Amino acid sequence: MMFWRLVFQLLRGSRGRLAVAILAIVSGAAVTSALLNLDLGVQNKLTQEFRTLGANIVISPPDVQQSVDGGSAGPVLFDENVLEIGIESVPEPNVVASAPFLYVIGKAAEKPVVIVGTLMDELRKFEPTWQLDGGWISSREDATRCLVGQNVARQFHLKPGSSLRLTYADRTAELTVSGVVSAGGPDDSQIFVNLPVAQRLAATGGVSVWQVSVGGSPKVVADYAARITAALPQYQVRPIRQVAEAEGALLGRIRLLIVSMVLLILILTALCVLGTMAALAMERRKDVGLMKSLGGSISRIVGIFLAEVGVLGAAGGLLGTILGAALSYWMGLRVFGTAIAPRWEVFPVTIALMIVVTLAGALPLRMLGNVKPAEILRGA
Amino acid sequence: MATLVRVENLRKEFGNVRALDGVSFRVDAGEWIAIMGPSGSGKTTLINILGGLDTPTAGQAVVDGTDVARLDEAGLTRLRAEKIGFIFQQFHLVPYLTAVENVMLAQYFHSTTDEKEAQQALERVGLRDRLEHLPTQLSGGEQQRVAVARALINHPKLILADEPTGNLDEANEEIVLSLLRELHIEGHTILMVTHAPSIGRLADRRIEFAHGHLVQAAASLKPELA
Repeated sequence: MMFWRLVFQLLRGSRGRLAVAILAIVSGAAVTSALLNLDLGVQNKLTQEFRTLGANIVISPPDVQQSVDGGSAGPVLFDENVLEIGIESVPEPNVVASAPFLYVIGKAAEKPVVIVGTLMDELRKFEPTWQLDGGWISSREDATRCLVGQNVARQFHLKPGSSLRLTYADRTAELTVSGVVSAGGPDDSQIFVNLPVAQRLAATGGVSVWQVSVGGSPKVVADYAARITAALPQYQVRPIRQVAEAEGALLGRIRLLIVSMVLLILILTALCVLGTMAALAMERRKDVGLMKSLGGSISRIVGIFLAEVGVLGAAGGLLGTILGAALSYWMGLRVFGTAIAPRWEVFPVTIALMIVVTLAGALPLRMLGNVKPAEILRGA
Repeated sequence: MATLVRVENLRKEFGNVRALDGVSFRVDAGEWIAIMGPSGSGKTTLINILGGLDTPTAGQAVVDGTDVARLDEAGLTRLRAEKIGFIFQQFHLVPYLTAVENVMLAQYFHSTTDEKEAQQALERVGLRDRLEHLPTQLSGGEQQRVAVARALINHPKLILADEPTGNLDEANEEIVLSLLRELHIEGHTILMVTHAPSIGRLADRRIEFAHGHLVQAAASLKPELA
């Protein structure tokens, strides 16, 4: 109890002198926390961006014609069952979504539209960042509802609950709009239905491509693609390699930059604390001499000072981490155009780093061990 | 009375300067000794050695059966905490601690703190209303009374007072001397450095120094043993 009372009074009594150190610790913690938040946040953002591109592996027959055109030429499709068996023979825990796709150019109100038949319950996993007005279709058996892109909705004045008639040759499908998709890409001009609906319209049992979304590093994606290729040698397996490799390289560079900056900030913070503590140690020689004359051992006396410094590091680290979270939010908006939410794991890491840095900066307190009370008290 | 302090042929050198040169004397438990002499005569050096703040170059300085000259740093620390109570001319209070906390600091380094006991010690020296005041909020006399309370709080065997009234006005000097008189009557052993003959005469004995030598002892009630 008395120990912490002493620590508190030391902090209170030296607040003027410690202000510089506190400022350094808070600043160091804020920048460290912001950079760590950015590091983790940017990874998430890039991964999200990566996933908004949909699948990162596309499986198709060689030279496949990937859509069924207006009912003229016969479609070049392949049997989804053969593919499904091949894909399921290659287990991969990082698979996020996997589904066949059939692209049909049909009509709505006598105007051509792109109809995408797939497994609607998987579609949401492929496209987690789509903004949807309305509801997703969670069952792959649902043959009465569809999702429409926002351009289609605008063109045909559709909203959730609207009716939509699709035609292909002499076949029709009567559907209800479940939701309007805002994807910011070509998906906004498409209509999404369950695969049997598209197959019935096109009068086919085949599919255009099979797409897979695999989470994890570019290496995981490449390894999985290689295994699929081995399992399905007659098909074309195309990982979207450029995106994956670019993502990996960018993440590596960002991380190197951030780690370097964090190290630099920590060193600068320690140096600043070191300067303050050197001055403080000189000021406290008289106090130490007195404490020694009262029977205080140097370990107990320096223990009090180290606790003071530790509290300083923890408090400065906490305050700085909070400021850093706000800073990373702002930097995310300014630099990356997207807000970066604070990561809770950054808090203990930053605070621990600040305590370590502050204690390292407290090395000058070691000189207090040499204080000779008789000299100090005589000269005071 | 049993001997509490025994100094035998004590020598202390600072480079070529001999601050103490073969000093010998004894102090019985319960005695009040005035150590007198001009500046630089070795009075404070003697007090520092007896209090474990400094070590002698040669000779013996035995306090309550312990030869200070033979103690290591840890031993000196324990000696100061358990057997010695210091009163300095410049008070030497920790500036960011209140009066009661300054007294508790001595308790903390001795064993455990007892705030009530510390408050009682301050009440005894007339500072009931100054418990939570910082040293800067106290007069010189009040600061010295805090120092007296701090010196007493661990019931030391030996009180070492180095010019305890040197920085005080007449009124506060009288208050502090009254406290020392009370302590003496209660049986405390006091070694007090002073320049003032009038204060020295309050002691049981005076030991006078010049140039590191003991030039006169037993000026008062008891025979010197050097």
